[in-house]
Amino acid sequence: MKSIETVPQNYILKQLPKATAFVDKNYSIVDASDSWLHLFNFKWEDLSGKSILNVFTDHEQLTKTKLKEYLDSNKRKKIQHVQVTKEDETWYESILTPWFDEKENVVGTILQSENISKRIEKELELKRTKILLKAKSEVAKVGSWEYDLISQKLSWCDQTKKIHEVPKSFVPTVSQGIDFYKQGYSRNKVSMLFHKILEDGTPYSQRLIIITAKGEEKWVEAGGKAMKKNGEIVKIIGTFQDINDQVIAEKKTKESEQLLSTLIDNLPINVYIKDKESRKLLVNKTECEYIGTNAKNLIGKSDFDLYDKKIAQISRDEDLEVMRSLKPMVGVETINIKKDGSSTNFLTSKIPLINSNGEAYGLIGMSMDITHIKEKEDELRNLINITAIQNKKLTNFAHIVSHNLRSHTANFSMLLDFLIHEKEEKEKDRIMTMLTHASDNLLDTLENLNDVVAISTNVNIDKKPLNLKESILKVQQNLAAFLEKNKVEFVNHVPNKLSVLSVPAYLESIVLNLVTNAVKYSNPKRNPLITLRAKKQDNSVVLSVEDNGLGIDLNKYGGKIFGMYKTFHNKKDARGLGLYIIKNQIEAMGGSITVNSEVGKGTTFNVYFNEEDK
Amino acid sequence: MKKINSLYIIDDDPIAIFGIKKMLKLKVECNDIKAFENGKMALDDLKGRIEYGDGIPEVIFLDINMPIMDGWEFLEELLNLNIEEKVIINVITSSIDPSDYQKWNHFRLNSIHHLNFRNKPIYKIEVTDVSLAS
Repeated sequence: MKSIETVPQNYILKQLPKATAFVDKNYSIVDASDSWLHLFNFKWEDLSGKSILNVFTDHEQLTKTKLKEYLDSNKRKKIQHVQVTKEDETWYESILTPWFDEKENVVGTILQSENISKRIEKELELKRTKILLKAKSEVAKVGSWEYDLISQKLSWCDQTKKIHEVPKSFVPTVSQGIDFYKQGYSRNKVSMLFHKILEDGTPYSQRLIIITAKGEEKWVEAGGKAMKKNGEIVKIIGTFQDINDQVIAEKKTKESEQLLSTLIDNLPINVYIKDKESRKLLVNKTECEYIGTNAKNLIGKSDFDLYDKKIAQISRDEDLEVMRSLKPMVGVETINIKKDGSSTNFLTSKIPLINSNGEAYGLIGMSMDITHIKEKEDELRNLINITAIQNKKLTNFAHIVSHNLRSHTANFSMLLDFLIHEKEEKEKDRIMTMLTHASDNLLDTLENLNDVVAISTNVNIDKKPLNLKESILKVQQNLAAFLEKNKVEFVNHVPNKLSVLSVPAYLESIVLNLVTNAVKYSNPKRNPLITLRAKKQDNSVVLSVEDNGLGIDLNKYGGKIFGMYKTFHNKKDARGLGLYIIKNQIEAMGGSITVNSEVGKGTTFNVYFNEEDK
Repeated sequence: MKKINSLYIIDDDPIAIFGIKKMLKLKVECNDIKAFENGKMALDDLKGRIEYGDGIPEVIFLDINMPIMDGWEFLEELLNLNIEEKVIINVITSSIDPSDYQKWNHFRLNSIHHLNFRNKPIYKIEVTDVSLAS
C-alpha cells in the first residue's frame, strides 16, 4: 500500500506569479503555486495529493459533480465561482486548461485562479449606476449628448432623442442638431456657444427654445463641456434637459404675480397687509396716496404712527378681533382720522392671514373711501326730509287753493245760473252786483295765494346778518300813522347790537304782521301795549312780541292758529293769512314760531331765528 | 211748497247765503230764516232758543270752512246739546278733500239727525234737503 506522502512543490511552479494548480487525471492536486495557495488560504501540507473535488466545498459553482464534469471534459473553461462565508462572499475566476505531456497526451488539468470580487463589485456598481442614471434622466427629462471631434460624430442618448421627438434610430449631425433650435435668438445663441466650446473649451449652460420633429416648441436647457486629452479638445459632452413645463410654470407665476401686483396697486381701494402687531407689511398705491407718502415710509408703521390715537385704538381692536376669531370683518363702515384731523369714511374689510398651523400671522385690509357717498347720502336724506315736508305742505296748499278757488267758481256758477233764469230787471242788477263781488274776491284770493307761493318755492334764500333793533324801528316808522291812530304804546326792548340772520324782506314781513296782528286783535277796553324783546339762546335769536289784546283760546284754536284762512275773531279785516305767511317765511329760513296766549289778557309770539348759516 | 217753521243758514260767504235764500224761495215757505257768518254765532242763537223754549230750526244749511268756529266744530257742539227733535242738516262745501266726506259720514253715523252732503255749486234745493224721507 502506497502511503500518502507529501510531495514537495516544484520550485519553479511554486514561484509562478499567477495562481496556478496542477491536477492529474485522478483529480489529485499534483502541484500548486504559492500564489494559488495564498489565494484560497490553503496550506500545501493539507492539499498535497488530495482530490481537488474536496477542496472547493464552499464554492457554489464548484460542487463535486460539476467540477468533475469540467475536468473530465478536457476543454478550456472559464468558471466564475463564489465562496460564501457567514460574513462575506468572494468571487473568483478560474480557468481550466488541459495539461499535456511531451507526447501531447492529456495528463491532467491546469487550474489558474484569480480573485475577481472587486471586478464584480465594480460591474454591479456600474450596472446600478446606469440604471439609476437612466431612471433619473427619464424622470428629470435630462438627456445627454456627445460630440467626438476626431470622428466628427454626434450622438444623442435616448432621452435627448425623446425630447427632440425623433425615433431612437435617428442619428443626428451637428448642423441638424443646431437646426432644431428655433430660428433667431435660440439658434444663433447655440451656434455661437458650440463654436466657442470647440475653439477654446468654454463650457455653457443655456435656456433655449427648440422646435421638435413634430413641430412643437419646447424650452430646453442645453449644456456642454469640453473633454481634453493632452491639452487638445477631443470630445464635447453635454446635457440636454426638457424644462418646458418648468419655464411655462415660471412664466405663468411671473405673469400672475405681475397681474396681481398691478391689480392691487391700481385698485381704487386702500389695500394693506399687517403683521400680528398691526404693523404694515405691504401697502398699495391708493393707501400711499391717502396717507401722502411712499410705501417705503409706511412699511413697519402701525395705525398709532399714522392716525389719531382713539381711531388707531379702534382699528387695533378690530385687527386683534379678526386675528383672534379668525373670522373676516366684511364691509364695516369706519371713520379714519389722520393726525392733521382730516376724517375719511371707509367701507372696511379685514381678512385674517392664517398659517399652516391654523394661526393668524397678520391680516389683509381693504378700505374703500366712501366719504363722498356718505356726504351724498346725508345730502340725499336731507333732501328727502325737505321734500317730504314740502310735499306735505304742497298737498295742504293744494287743498286750500282748490277749496278757495272752488268756492269762488261755485259762486260764479250759481249766480250765472240765477242770472239766466231771472226775469226781473231789479233782481238781475242785484245778481250782477254779486257777480262783481265774486270776481273781486277771486282776484283777492289769487293775490294772497301768490304771496304764499312766493315763499314756499323760495328754497335758496339769501340770509344776511341784520341789526334787529334797526329793522324793527324801520317797521315802526312805516306804521307810525297806523300806530298813532290806534293809540298804541310801542316798547322796543331789543338790545342795540343784536343781529339776526334773515332775509331782509322776511324780517320786515314778520315784524309787520306780528305788530299789526297785535293791534287788530287788541282789547277795546284798553289801549294796545306792544312789547318787543330779543335775546340769544343756543343757536338761535329769539324775538318775542307781546300784546295785551283779546288773546286766543289755544285749547280750541292752538292747532289751527298758523293755518291758512283761519281767523278766530269777528274782525272785518282779518284775512287769516298773515300768520300763515310768516310761519312759512320763518321755516324757510330754518327757524320756528311759537305762541302763548290767555283769553282776555294777551298774546305772546316767539320767533326763533336760526343762526346756523345752513 | 214745503212749510218750515224755522231754518238756519251758516256760511261766511254772503254770496252763498244770498244764493241759498234765493233758491229756498222756490221750494219753501218759511218766515224764520236766519243766516250766520260762523258756527259760533249760530250756536249762541241756538242755545238762546233752547233756553227760551223757542222752536229748534228744522233745517240747517252748514258751510264747513268758516272762521272762529267751523262747520265741524258747530256739529260737535250741536250733538252735545242732545236735541231730541230730528234736524235736517245739509253740509255744504266747496272742499274736495276726501277727509271732509269721511268726517261727514262719521257724524252721519253717530247722530240722530238727518245729514246730507252737498258739494258747491248748488243750483236748486232738493226735496230731501228740506224734508225727512217718509
